[in-house]
Amino acid sequence: MLTAEMNQMLTQVGPGTPMGTLLRRYWYPVAFTRELAEFPVRRTRLLGEDFALFRTPNGRYGILPEACPHRKASLAYGVVERDGLRCPYHGWMFDHSGRCIDQPAERDDTNFKDRVRADAGQVQEMGGLVWAYIGPAPVPELPRFDVYVMDGIRDIGWCELPCSWLQIMENAVDPHHVEWLHGRFFGFIGRQEGFDAPPSFGKKHMKIGFTEFEWGIIKRRVLEGASEQNDDWKIGHPLVFPYNMRVGGAGIEQMQIRVPVDDTHTRFLLYTTHAPAGGKFWEQPTVPDYQIPWIDDSGRHIVNYVEGQDIMTWVTQGAIPDRTTEHLGKSDIGVAMLRRMFREQMQIAAQGGDPLGVIRQARDRIDLPCERDKFHAGSTFALDFMAMGSSRYSPQLEALRQLHIDAAVALEPAAP
Amino acid sequence: MTSAPELGSAANARGPTARPQQNLAAGPQPGFAADAERHRRDVPRHCPRCGTSLLHGAGISVEFWQGADRVFHTWCASCRWTGDIIPTTQMIGHEPEH
Repeated sequence: MLTAEMNQMLTQVGPGTPMGTLLRRYWYPVAFTRELAEFPVRRTRLLGEDFALFRTPNGRYGILPEACPHRKASLAYGVVERDGLRCPYHGWMFDHSGRCIDQPAERDDTNFKDRVRADAGQVQEMGGLVWAYIGPAPVPELPRFDVYVMDGIRDIGWCELPCSWLQIMENAVDPHHVEWLHGRFFGFIGRQEGFDAPPSFGKKHMKIGFTEFEWGIIKRRVLEGASEQNDDWKIGHPLVFPYNMRVGGAGIEQMQIRVPVDDTHTRFLLYTTHAPAGGKFWEQPTVPDYQIPWIDDSGRHIVNYVEGQDIMTWVTQGAIPDRTTEHLGKSDIGVAMLRRMFREQMQIAAQGGDPLGVIRQARDRIDLPCERDKFHAGSTFALDFMAMGSSRYSPQLEALRQLHIDAAVALEPAAP
Repeated sequence: MTSAPELGSAANARGPTARPQQNLAAGPQPGFAADAERHRRDVPRHCPRCGTSLLHGAGISVEFWQGADRVFHTWCASCRWTGDIIPTTQMIGHEPEH
């Protein structure tokens, strides 16, 4: 339970707000690489602001506020040229740094263009995603987390959700929901629709724990029949502050990305790298992406797969949940811890320091802790994950299933 | 990203569960108003270590319940003290079996 004032403080992400100030210290994925290859300029919304994202013919990316500084027409409809982006209305031209380099209708003997500047951000490409930084200088390094740079077969499921990103992040430090939402509820839906829900998702939680570390919070659990020696406790998996969760197991490596579009909308991405030991990986000139359906034609949530169940709970909590009337219990201590962490990091950002996870030294690859033997379910976890999760909608589902099966066969000891 | 409906469009807002944003400043919704009022009444106002005000975002207190206790998980932005504050209604010598 929170005061209304604190709930607002935690959920408002626009410019000038405490949370918006914190969140502007991080890089965000704002497009798929293939999108700007298909058409070199597009609109994107991030942290309550609209931007024009573009790629010039030399392959360099840029991001500018959508409204042209001249008379506010949309630069997302701009003309991409060699040196930058030109406004479609009167032809003002901006380079990647936001400098105005041409005003065709103005006389040559004026320095007007030197007095105009768009507030440009920074853009990089990594792992099939285009990443943007719209915060203050100095620009931090883009963290190259393992899933984005490791060998394997990738795909990206995505959807846009009409709710705050914060409640989705709170779900990342809520281990108990797995047992109920993806266990009991999944079983109930399965019985109604005539399928068997994966039994490993319904195992009872005996103990949960949370550990702060350099990238966020490691979530741990001991399930019935297991001990603290099992991966779920010994290794766990992390909430990667402030907007990701790293999950996986059995050769599936995934980053769940929750981009705060504005106070009440979130871009949800499931970035998955399939990397089973012994697997044979094929070339991927483009990382496939696919939209995850979460609501049917009658307006009801689709709840017969794992992420659809999660989305149902996030969206039904409301665009911004009223946390003044919630009732947290001891099982929600991860949620309390995360809110405290956000408040702590807000203060660091407000004072000009680098909040958690902002890095200044480039690293080729950042490995995150993540359990291998998920739910001590063995290799069946990978097939359950694909059949019962959002991967069922992947355009390469059958190839991925075969990848994991072939890898498992290749690792089996030869018969004597 | 590609082919997504514009944010805030009818396609995104449809469905019985896509609720309008609540006016948080208007106070608690009916039903749990008493609990919300108790939270506002009892939320720690000063840091137990340095005495600095915790109000108006100068810290955070998240309330959760454990048995009969109301626990305020609290952090002070001034001295960075972190701890749980539990209002006491009676002193229990030995916890009954449960």
